[in-house]
Amino acid sequence: MNLHIINTTIIHANIIWANIIVSIKSFYREKTVVFFRIAFPVILILVFGTIFMERDNEIFDLSVQDLDRTTSSEKLVEAIRLSKRFKITPVSPAADAEQYARINKRNLMVIIPKDFEMSMMQKMGPGDIGIPVSLTKLYDPSAFGVTTKIGVLDMVLAGINQEMSGKPPLIVSEPVSILKKKYRFIEFFVPGIIAMAVMTASLFGAVNVNAELRQKGVLRKLSTTPITRIDWILSNVLYQFILAVVSTAVMLLVSYIVFNVSLEINAWLVVFVALDVFSFVGLGMILTRVAREAESAAAAADALMFPMMFLSGTFFPVEMMPEFLQKFAKVLPLYYVNEGLRASMVAADHMAALKCALIIGVFAGVVFILGIMITKLDGETT
Amino acid sequence: MTQNSEYAIEVHNLTKHYKGLSAVDNISFTVKKGEVFALLGPNGAGKTTTVEIIDTIRKPTSGKVILLGMDVTRNKYTIIPRIGVLPQGFSSFDRITVKETLQFYSRLFCRRKTDINALMALVNLKDKVKVKYKNLSGGLKQRLGIAVALVNDPEIVFLDEPTTGLDPRARRAVWDVLLGLKKKGKTIFLTTHYMEEAELLADTVAIIAKGKITAMGSPGELIENNADYLVILLKSVDENVFEIVQKMGFLPVYDSHGDIRVRLDHTDDVRRLLNAVEAGGASFNGLDVRKPNLEEVFLKLTEETLLEGSAGIKEAK
Ligand SMILES: Nc1ncnc2c1ncn2[C@@H]1O[C@H](COP(=O)(O)OP(=O)(O)OP(=O)(O)O)[C@@H](O)[C@H]1O
Ligand SMILES: [Mg+2]
Repeated sequence: MNLHIINTTIIHANIIWANIIVSIKSFYREKTVVFFRIAFPVILILVFGTIFMERDNEIFDLSVQDLDRTTSSEKLVEAIRLSKRFKITPVSPAADAEQYARINKRNLMVIIPKDFEMSMMQKMGPGDIGIPVSLTKLYDPSAFGVTTKIGVLDMVLAGINQEMSGKPPLIVSEPVSILKKKYRFIEFFVPGIIAMAVMTASLFGAVNVNAELRQKGVLRKLSTTPITRIDWILSNVLYQFILAVVSTAVMLLVSYIVFNVSLEINAWLVVFVALDVFSFVGLGMILTRVAREAESAAAAADALMFPMMFLSGTFFPVEMMPEFLQKFAKVLPLYYVNEGLRASMVAADHMAALKCALIIGVFAGVVFILGIMITKLDGETT
Repeated sequence: MTQNSEYAIEVHNLTKHYKGLSAVDNISFTVKKGEVFALLGPNGAGKTTTVEIIDTIRKPTSGKVILLGMDVTRNKYTIIPRIGVLPQGFSSFDRITVKETLQFYSRLFCRRKTDINALMALVNLKDKVKVKYKNLSGGLKQRLGIAVALVNDPEIVFLDEPTTGLDPRARRAVWDVLLGLKKKGKTIFLTTHYMEEAELLADTVAIIAKGKITAMGSPGELIENNADYLVILLKSVDENVFEIVQKMGFLPVYDSHGDIRVRLDHTDDVRRLLNAVEAGGASFNGLDVRKPNLEEVFLKLTEETLLEGSAGIKEAK
């Protein structure tokens, strides 16, 4: 009995290698798969990048109502101004914000609340990340372009926050040093597309390949060879990781050449791509096992993927969503890949990246182990 | 453990249930080393279930299978390198060529030395080396599957319906391959629907129906022991003959020519039946009484007798 258990957990490097070779050959021999895998995310970047490029040079109107009127709040306003992305119109603290926005046709307005400085001092303890929570954004969701505008504002705020963190007392630091860099929306967008492309490819890759091989009986045949469950799952993960690295490299290359993005490339990128692959290949393996039919596995993958694509900050900042959806976003694994990639690539914030990596790492580990436990290669259906 | 036993396979009281269905019902048999053993039965008899429990794909509900002296449920990974399996409806990676497929499977067994060219020659796939799996015809796919089952030079080869769907020439080619393996001393376990295949290849045939083994022995013994009845054929019959025969307690069947076939257990019954037809005032123009052929023996043993089966169809008209 023991022997059986030990044997099923053995890893055979040569078998995994044989599997990867077959997978890669199968991949590049099907041109439509290659297209969707490599070219599709690139097209997304090109299309959205072009749309945002114009916006990136645009200077937005922003109304700011400072209810706090302390040094901190003034420096915050100054910092936003220094980003060169906003033309700031101060609004009298006495005015009713909503009424003002309506009358003056303002589609975005920032309100700095009364206790801003105080909560800032409390909140910014060591290791605390996050934008000053107490800022209120008032916006008209139906207004054209407001999405981009909020995105840019969030980028700017993230940058300010970034500069401040780790240098207490944060708020008194020189605002002039705060923004050396011009934040562009494309730089927010590219890490999100990387996270999303790797997720969809891993999830669907795992679901489609496994469902097809199961249905055709190839897995049954494989179960009469020395291959183990771990071999099989690792083969899937490594194959998807190789493709993810290639596809990420292409996405970054295009972003550099076409949009001249300035993104930080460091080891975190590899870490997050790997964790993204592990999580979603693992999830895919579980889905193929739980869902009997190939179609229901694919449908389940869809059902998991779409909310994640739209609610975890791929296309627009999570902060734009209503409170309850923001809470929901924080249980989505993709949220942490997005946040982590942005922390490392945009803000070079290693602490924030580490935090996200730990969270998604735990998820990946759980899913992977679960995947190993329930994956079966044989023809049993009972 | 019976490591040096003369048996390659021992099956003891094997049972497999699927939610309320006994696919395999308490069967026992042994297969000697170097023997060709055929499991013969109609669709849904339990052949695949049986063979897949023996070759470690499925787990039994109860009972015991000893393969090469080892319990299959406990020693899967020790057994696997020593057996070769062609599952029913073999399938492989669509966009991988014949040669690459064989290379892949021999890598899984860590067999660097497998002579892939010889394997391709063996199953007559030499001129299809670079053809992708999805572009092979059904028969060629099946032959590739047989080659794949042999990449690890197994001691026991399991073939689940190796010739189903093949044309007569391809079938003969597969038979030649199997006879060659037999000559090399391999133990072969095959399942089939075809009596002629079992008769040609097998040393021992076990007939399985509804999860039970109904007869077992060499092909000669099976026919000898089970052809213990007669078939009478009445040609160009009147309408009422069918009814008369039925009333006597026999089970008449119309065949495709409109003739009536009746299975009789004793020679005396022939006279009784003819007398009754005459007494009933019915007539027929031709008569043939003979021993059953192989197919009929098979059908009798699998209980899907010619009689019950076709009678149902006729009545439904
Ligand atoms: N995985 C399964 N789940 C439920 N029932 C099954 C399963 N596999 C087989 N059965 C049932 O068990 C019985 C025996 O099936 P099996 O496949 O062993 O027959 P077979 O003799 O191989 O038939 P065929 O000649 O059609 O291949 C059938 O009634 C079948 O429906
Ligand atoms: Mg079968």
